[in-house]
Amino acid sequence: MRITLFDYGAGNLHSLAKALRGEGRNVRLETDARAAVDTDVLVLPGVGAFEPAARALEGGRDAMRDAIAAGLPCLGICLGMQLMFEASDEGDGAGLGVFGGRVTRLRTPRIPQIGWNTIDDTNDPLFGRARLETAYYANSFVCRPLDESVVTAWSTHEGDRFPAAVRAGTVVGVQFHPEKSSAPGLAFVHEYLNLISNP
Amino acid sequence: MSLTRRLIVCLDVRRGRVVKGVRFEGLRDVGDPVELAERYERDGADEIVFLDIGATHEERGTMLDLARRTAERLFIPLTIGGGIRTVDDMANALRAGADKVGVNSAAVQRPEIMTEGARRFGAQCIVASIDAKRDGDSWRVYTSGARVRTELDAVDWARECVARGAGEILLTSIDKDGARTGYDLELTLAVSRAVSVPVIASGGAGIAAHVRDVIVNGGADAALVAGIVHDGVETVTGLKLALHQAGIPVRMVA
Repeated sequence: MRITLFDYGAGNLHSLAKALRGEGRNVRLETDARAAVDTDVLVLPGVGAFEPAARALEGGRDAMRDAIAAGLPCLGICLGMQLMFEASDEGDGAGLGVFGGRVTRLRTPRIPQIGWNTIDDTNDPLFGRARLETAYYANSFVCRPLDESVVTAWSTHEGDRFPAAVRAGTVVGVQFHPEKSSAPGLAFVHEYLNLISNP
Repeated sequence: MSLTRRLIVCLDVRRGRVVKGVRFEGLRDVGDPVELAERYERDGADEIVFLDIGATHEERGTMLDLARRTAERLFIPLTIGGGIRTVDDMANALRAGADKVGVNSAAVQRPEIMTEGARRFGAQCIVASIDAKRDGDSWRVYTSGARVRTELDAVDWARECVARGAGEILLTSIDKDGARTGYDLELTLAVSRAVSVPVIASGGAGIAAHVRDVIVNGGADAALVAGIVHDGVETVTGLKLALHQAGIPVRMVA
């Protein structure tokens, strides 16, 4: 399985790359958005700010959106999940628009949200199989989907309930960092990859 | 539900080894950073901090190499602090494998570093590290490994760090560091009330009750421990269990 980690040029991808590796899996980093879709699974990592990431996406946005619409499995993490939406209050630029809705600031006085939060009201068996009940977050912005039926788990930060995860088929976005959520987080990544291998 | 309170283990690193001193002095070797970090993750530590207490240029390279090796084996957040002078230093640490960077002396000398770092990497990865010492009715900020006294008031400085872009405050009491008589609750409470970002209390943990107290009575979002777990006086598992039994929401590992 070819796994491509789209590299916007910000921050630490070591842990995520390591989390994705395994028997029969080939993980590569790709900075060109158009070239990134030539893969079996596209991973949008979660480090950096929306505007520079949207800029890195620019030339290949249509190619990426079309590939995902045509069935390319895609895992978006934190900022990567936010890029699956249309736009963000954090900065200018367009997301992929795979999911309808905007990214807005958490409606709480204490931001950023940094730490481990519980995953609530999940209806996706990926969480149960991974035993992922508490996950690590580091974010000030969250996704507000137009259609809440795409939400597969929720979390709440000081009264603001927001999507912990969204899913449409093999397109999964998570606001938390599975690669920083210890063993259950790694199990979540592996369950996702298993799901793609054995649909 | 909501955010759990965190237990963070700090490893003071010098020349690629973990060392521990009392009140910033008298260093002893306590082990290999990667192995220790992994062990603490297994025990339920919520985060790891590597504090680079060697200041020379060649030691920076050792730290980045260490960050790289750690990031491939550690799957909880890693903060690197000590010796971060420029935004490029931040970029190098993050690129090497840190999830967050701590700035201390450099932030005092040039507060803009926090703003520039937050803009480039996001506020969530900028940790303002403040070493404070009681001075009459307030607390004074010290830099350069607690050796240099500044004119800054710790609570005011914490507020300014947040205004400048810091996403977290790592607050160390110089008076309490290594003494194992409990955290400085007053200092922690004063800072946690003054800022809207998470405050990590550091310095003074001796027993589990101290960790509980700084969360319940000091308003800390997270407690940092070092010596007591390196020495085996307490275990991470035991500390987390004590917090859980005190009714504090914490992440428990199976």
